[in-house]
Amino acid sequence: MRSVWAVARKEVRETLRDWRTLAMMIGVPILLYPVLLVASQQLALFGMRRAEAEVVRIAVIGAAADSVLLRLAGDDRIEVVGVPGAPPDGAAAGSAWLAAAGVVDAAAAGIRAGSLEAVVVLEGNPSDSGTLSAVLLFDDTSDRSRRARTMLRETLDGWGEEMFAARLLAQGLPATFARPLAVADSSLARPDERGGYVLGRFLPMLLVTITLLGAFYPAVDLAAGEKERGTLETLLTSPAPAFSIVLGKFVTVSAIALVAAALNMGSMFLTFRTGLFQLPAEMVLDISIPPTALVWIFALLVPLAALFAAVFLGIAVRSASFKEAQNTLSPLMLLVLLPALLPILPGTELTPALAIVPIAGPALLFRELMSANAGVGMGLLVIGSTAVYALGALWFAADAFGRETILFGGGDLESEPGSRVLRGFGGPRRRGQTPRPVHALIVLGVVAALNLFGAPFLGAALGLERALLASQWLLMLLPAVGFVLLFGYDPIETLSLRRPSARQLGGALLMIAGGTPVAWFLAWLQSQLLPIPEELVEALTRLVSADSFGRMVWLVFVAAITPALAEEFLFRGMLLGSTRNAMSPARAILLNAGIFAIFHLSIVRLLPTAWLGLLLAWVVWRTRSIWTSVTMHALNNSLVVVLASLPAAQDWGGDGTEAPPLILLPLAVLLLGWGVRILQEEKPAGEA
Amino acid sequence: MISFRELTKRFGAHEAVSSLTFDVRPGEIYALLGPNGAGKTTALRCLATLMRPSSGTVVVGDADVMSDPRGVRRRVGFLSTSMGLYERLTAREQIEYFGRLQEMDGTVLIHRVEELIDRFGIGPFADRYCGRLSTGQRQRVAIARAVVQDPEALVLDEPTNGLDVVSGQGIYAFMQESRSRGKAILFATHNLAEVELLADRVGILDGGRLVAEGTVSGLLEYTGTPNLTRAFLSLVRH
Repeated sequence: MRSVWAVARKEVRETLRDWRTLAMMIGVPILLYPVLLVASQQLALFGMRRAEAEVVRIAVIGAAADSVLLRLAGDDRIEVVGVPGAPPDGAAAGSAWLAAAGVVDAAAAGIRAGSLEAVVVLEGNPSDSGTLSAVLLFDDTSDRSRRARTMLRETLDGWGEEMFAARLLAQGLPATFARPLAVADSSLARPDERGGYVLGRFLPMLLVTITLLGAFYPAVDLAAGEKERGTLETLLTSPAPAFSIVLGKFVTVSAIALVAAALNMGSMFLTFRTGLFQLPAEMVLDISIPPTALVWIFALLVPLAALFAAVFLGIAVRSASFKEAQNTLSPLMLLVLLPALLPILPGTELTPALAIVPIAGPALLFRELMSANAGVGMGLLVIGSTAVYALGALWFAADAFGRETILFGGGDLESEPGSRVLRGFGGPRRRGQTPRPVHALIVLGVVAALNLFGAPFLGAALGLERALLASQWLLMLLPAVGFVLLFGYDPIETLSLRRPSARQLGGALLMIAGGTPVAWFLAWLQSQLLPIPEELVEALTRLVSADSFGRMVWLVFVAAITPALAEEFLFRGMLLGSTRNAMSPARAILLNAGIFAIFHLSIVRLLPTAWLGLLLAWVVWRTRSIWTSVTMHALNNSLVVVLASLPAAQDWGGDGTEAPPLILLPLAVLLLGWGVRILQEEKPAGEA
Repeated sequence: MISFRELTKRFGAHEAVSSLTFDVRPGEIYALLGPNGAGKTTALRCLATLMRPSSGTVVVGDADVMSDPRGVRRRVGFLSTSMGLYERLTAREQIEYFGRLQEMDGTVLIHRVEELIDRFGIGPFADRYCGRLSTGQRQRVAIARAVVQDPEALVLDEPTNGLDVVSGQGIYAFMQESRSRGKAILFATHNLAEVELLADRVGILDGGRLVAEGTVSGLLEYTGTPNLTRAFLSLVRH
């Protein structure tokens, strides 16, 4: 514990001497809100005054133009200009005549050219019981034009009401005749409640962002920065345990994030409460937070700051440099901010399910606290789950600190693609050399982007099935294999290109025979929580169901063999190969399965896909042969095609929406156990 | 004192250090020589517990890097090529911080810090941030930091790298003084002149293997060469 405080004290001391962190932590919050709000208010006021002083140029053409002009005559903010071709008084001209004479076009051209702001085109006769139509020509992309339109609209509406009152009077009817029902709003919300409601919309996002930013720079500096400066190496030669060092850094980053959040909140409230920022008179709000809510907010900010601190530290220490950490964390920050937008969405309630979603739960709880609607149970659920995630993230960070692959980037081999690409095809390859996980992940990101953006084009150009083939072969298999070959990595080691033994293949077959029913069960289980839309089930069934044997063979090639090759080379080949020397088997396999599931971009198939990913990755890790997982994957997908194509099999079910026969589960577990045993007994391919 | 026992370190299929076995005795300066990529830094990192041996081990005193890494860290003062100083800590704070990490505290720590400041002539810049010190001053602080716990063994990775002659002399004096105090000193270097000046024994590493070991004169005799440069070149692959 002593070393934790020694590290924390030193980190705080050093941080307080860093002007960049200080500026972010203290300078920005203290000055940002007053300066920003007061400046924006003054600028708005200045703009309004200037706009009010400006004279707008308008024209009125058509029937009864004189009546309108008469009403505008006293307003010195308006200058009436003529439109070429319009009759001097306009009284006798109807819109048809005006259009024919090109007057309307001339008026529109004048507005576009900026020589006038708005034009009223009148048609009809106001003197009888008919309707006088008034069309307002203006440019709604111009502030001046919109202002002219508002002024004209007010004048015209006033005139219309006067004419209406005169008509009622002429008929001997009271003014209330035309308003049989008068509707008025009366909100029961007190100003403080209204203030809480308004704050509840934007404060969650702001608090999450501030806490996030508060943790960002110190975490990157204390992890990646320290690594880059070479001080982490020295630090790890001291007897302080790696966990104490992480804990010291974690406490520091959390505290900085918390202080930043508190200072931001304090500064914002002071700006409103001291009258530095004046709300518009029509906004009867009381910007204040009840003391109990404040206690809750801080209680929630603590695990939230801890979560960000631990996640950022964990990622930053895995980066080779400060810059790499920034590049990795920036997109993650955007991703993290998405759930913080939930409170703005209408109809989003804080349910127990949302309460345990990271970031979303805290953001919604912030909103509820502002409106004084939060229950104690829900509050504790959000705080507790956030604290659990923070602890998990702390473990993720702590795990990296003492590891030499993290500290020295996997040894002193040439592992940087930049230095390897020159070697090119056919050049000397270092035996056993595999890519670093970060580089495999970059390739995977590129493949994901290629598929996301390229697939729609391929679909439009080639049709669904051919596009599927093209995207799998060209946008997945080719980049995976190309990356390994082009950068001079060992293809056998990276892609696990070893021939499996008959027993290994047998074990893999048993694994998929047992794994498929479990995947079915998981799909059904997930459909209970998150129902699969029927349209999706139908579309998928249509896609993979064949009406002839020949068509079935084609579909097996398109939807089973091709994805089995492409996805296995990408995930169990390139990605798994990159992690083999860099992380523990459990971590590498879990990471592989998680990314595999997310890559499919299907929430409704998330669990079964992750499960299959887990099986496939474990089998390849164990056998060191990609062909085992290619076979498993192809068989799994082929089964889907067969089930969708054979009428008898269709009756049997298997689209994931129906519960599997329970008898299948013990059988599946038995097969899985058998497969695991065989593969554990069998030595990996290529080992004597 | 320091005992490398069949130490092997692999990175994937590449063996950076192979079955390395040698000892550094108390009161001895042992120089580890080798071309770039010979495995010197990897061996020292295994000793400093920054890397875990693939097989074999290193023992310092009675502490084994595999079973008692914290014990090894207490016994070893490690100086890496990067010096590893915090830019925004003063020289005094730097030494004090590592003292705390070595579980020192109170007046013991204060006295030790003052003693080291005095010993290494850090006084004039003791309260200046390390980011504003010259390379020579930084190196003095780095050494003071490395020996704050008065370790039994010193491990120095290219200790005079980037230093001028005057600063280098200070390091040599410190190493010689430590030897006279019974410390075991292991240092890796490219500088053959300082090996001749300081080392009681020399180990020559090439391709991860110890290809020769002995006194400077013994190596000259063994290789039949007139100087250490020739001896070195005759022993390592080009």
